[in-house]
Amino acid sequence: MESPRDRKYFARKKVCRFCTESLEMNYKNIDTLSRYITDRKKIVPKRNSGLCARCQRQLATEIKRARFMALLPYTVLH
Amino acid sequence: MAVKPKYYETLYIIRPDIKEEELAKIEQRLRDALAAHEGEIIRFDKWAQRELAYEIQNYNRGTYYIIIFKSLPGAVAELERHLRFYNTDVLRFMTVSITEAAANKEKAAQENKAAEESSPAAEAAPAEAAPAEAAPTEAAPTEAAPAETAPAEAAPAEAAPEPAEETKTESEPATAEPTEGGAN
Repeated sequence: MESPRDRKYFARKKVCRFCTESLEMNYKNIDTLSRYITDRKKIVPKRNSGLCARCQRQLATEIKRARFMALLPYTVLH
Repeated sequence: MAVKPKYYETLYIIRPDIKEEELAKIEQRLRDALAAHEGEIIRFDKWAQRELAYEIQNYNRGTYYIIIFKSLPGAVAELERHLRFYNTDVLRFMTVSITEAAANKEKAAQENKAAEESSPAAEAAPAEAAPAEAAPTEAAPTEAAPAETAPAEAAPAEAAPEPAEETKTESEPATAEPTEGGAN
């Protein structure tokens, strides 16, 4: 029998979008990367991005590269 | 063991108000530098002219140039030395090593790229407004994806002789940027 706790939240299955859809993760691909930064231009954490560990690490690297090349901002305070 | 040539990608930003002949001079110098180190240039062209995400040396716009080449690791330092030499014109540069598959794909796509040259610039432009359009619009070129991701997984194994596979050498032009530290 289903316990109340089980129904409390939707168990939305998270799948890594980069693994399943084989999107290109590249620091030059700003449109893709910018979906994984917050309003304050922080990198979205893994718990929210739903990426697997490997993709999340890669994502962080690519975002940081994009930031260095002034493709993405470091902060909103520039 | 002999050092094997690797594939690299260098992206550099030129200040927007540069003169044509200066631009040609820089390009020639970089080509010469690579040629001197037996580097094989796969792609060398303008990538985009776009708004910078933040100010660099009081410039808010910049022209991005991309070089994709195959060379021995030593050539990278040499190339970057030349980029640093033009530190008033070159606002920023970065070299990353790329996989052979990615480089080959680039080689193959070189002809198509010329036709599509305008599209990356167009899709790069709205980056500032990006969070808003973060919704379902998927502009990512999916056709480029498989080759890009697959070799990334395979890479660590083949990179065994050299510890750092994805060496990122990034350096700001040697001159101090007064705006840089404070602005961040």
